[in-house]
Amino acid sequence: MNQLRAELLKIRSTRTTIGLLLGMILLALIFIVLTCTLSPMNQIFTEQDQVSLLSFGSIAGVFSALAGIMLVTSEYRFGTMRPTFLFNPNRSRLFASKAIAGLLAGLVFGVIAEGLTFAIGLAILEGRHVHIVMSGSNMTMLIVGAVVGTALWGIIGVGLGAIIRNQVGAVIALLAFGFVVENLVFGLLPSVGRFLPVHAGNSMMGFTGQHYLSGTIGTVVLVAWAVVLAGAGLAAIKGRDVQ
Amino acid sequence: MAVDDLSFTIEAGTITGFLGPNGAGKTTTLRMLLGLANPTSGHATIFGVPYTDLPTPAMRVGAVLEATDFHPGRSGRDHLRTLSRAAGLPDSRVDEVLGLVELTSAAKRRVKGYSLGMRQRLGLAAALLGNPDLLVLDEPANGLDPEGVRWLRDFLRDFASGGRTVLVSSHVLAEVAQTVDQVLIINHGRLVTESSLDALTMKATVAVRVRSPKIAELADALTREGLVSMTTNDHALLVHNATSERVGDIAFAAGLAIHELMSETSSLEEVFLDLTSGESS
Repeated sequence: MNQLRAELLKIRSTRTTIGLLLGMILLALIFIVLTCTLSPMNQIFTEQDQVSLLSFGSIAGVFSALAGIMLVTSEYRFGTMRPTFLFNPNRSRLFASKAIAGLLAGLVFGVIAEGLTFAIGLAILEGRHVHIVMSGSNMTMLIVGAVVGTALWGIIGVGLGAIIRNQVGAVIALLAFGFVVENLVFGLLPSVGRFLPVHAGNSMMGFTGQHYLSGTIGTVVLVAWAVVLAGAGLAAIKGRDVQ
Repeated sequence: MAVDDLSFTIEAGTITGFLGPNGAGKTTTLRMLLGLANPTSGHATIFGVPYTDLPTPAMRVGAVLEATDFHPGRSGRDHLRTLSRAAGLPDSRVDEVLGLVELTSAAKRRVKGYSLGMRQRLGLAAALLGNPDLLVLDEPANGLDPEGVRWLRDFLRDFASGGRTVLVSSHVLAEVAQTVDQVLIINHGRLVTESSLDALTMKATVAVRVRSPKIAELADALTREGLVSMTTNDHALLVHNATSERVGDIAFAAGLAIHELMSETSSLEEVFLDLTSGESS
C-alpha cells in the first residue's frame, strides 16, 4: 500500500502524465467533433456506425499504455530505479504496485476520454437529428468496454516498459505493434488478428464485424494479454541487476 | 570475476574508506550488498542478512550510489516524498532531511535547475530519510567543487560523531584521507588491506637515497648503525627511516665517498598505489 501511494505520487509529480492527458483530450476532442460534424448521414445511421464513432475514446488506451511505459522506463532512464529498489527491495511488491498504479491511471484516462467523446459525440449527432439506434445495454457495453480496456492497457504498458526498459524502444514497440503490426495481421489473418489486444479491446466495446470476438471472449483475451505482459515484466524486473 | 570472497567489518562510529582503483569491484560490491545485483554464486549480507530481507532497509542503511538519480522534471521535495511514502515515513521527515542538507529553499524547484552540489545533497537527503545507522556513499566527491567536498566532509564527521557509521568509496585515497578513520583497500575483487588510516600513514615512510662507488661497504656501515637499507635497480641504496644528515655522517665516518644523497618521502598515495598495483602482477 505504501509503495502504491509512492507510485501514484510519481505519476502525479511530473508533467509527463498531465502532458499525456492533455494530448489525449485534444486528440479525442478534435476527432469526435470533426467526425460527428462532417460524416455524411448515410455513414452514421447503423448501430455499428454509431458504436464505431462513439468508441473513439478508446484511443485513451494508447495514452494509458504510454503512461504505464513511463512509470517504469523513466525510472531506468533517470536512475531513480536505484533509490526505488533501495527503499523497497521486494521487487514483486514493487512491480505489483506499478501495475496497479498503471491500471488506476488508465481508469482515469479512460473515464475522461470516453466520457468526453461519448457525451460530445452524442450531443452533435442529436443536434444533426440523427436517430440514435444504440440500445441502452450497448451504450453501457461501449462505455464500460472502453474504460476497462483503457485501464488494462495501463498494465500492458507497465509490463512492456519492464521488459524493454529503454523508453524510446518501448514507445516505438507499442506504437508499431498497435498501429501497424496488429492491423496487418488482422487484415491478412483475421482469425489470428482478432485475438490481438487492440481488436480484443474493440470487441469489448461491442464491435460486431464478422471476424470479431464476442464481448465476453474479447474481455477475457485482453485481460490475458495484460496478465501475460505483467508476468513477463515481473520476471524481467526480478531477474535483472540494476546497473 | 568482479568480486570474490570479500568480507569486512566496519566499526560503529567510524568513517571507513572503501578504496581501490577503478574496476577493482567497489561499486559491484556495494550493489550486491544493497540487493541491486545478484552474485553469480554465493550471497551478500549486511547486518548479517541479505539486504532484501531487512524489514525496513531504509531505516538501517542509507545509500547514495549515483549523484544524478533524479527525474529532472520532479521537484526535490517530491522526489523525497516518493521515497518516504514507500518507506511509510511522514512528509514531516522529508522537510527535516531537506533542512539537514540545507535544501529547504530549493525544495519546490524542479531538479533540472539544481547544481551538481545540490543534487549531491538531495541524494544524501534521500539516504537520510529513514534515519539509518549506516550510510553508504559511492564516489561521493566525484565532480564536487572544493566547497562541496568540505561540506560533505563536515557532514560525514557530524554523522559519525553521533555513533553512526559511514562507508565511503573512492578510487583516490587523497580525496578521503582527511575524512576517514579506517581504510579497506580492494583490488581485483579481493581485500588487499584493512587498517586504520594512522597505520597506513606509518607506511608512508621517509627514506634516503644514496649512491657510492663502494656500495657494499656503505650498506655494512649503515647496518652497523642499525639502519635498514636496500639496493635499488640503478645501484643506489634506499635507507629507510633515516635523514640525509645521518647517512652522510655515517659514510664520512667510514671513509666512503658519496656520489648522490637525497631524501625521498613516499606519500600516502604512493602507499595506496603500491598496495593496489602489487596484486595485479
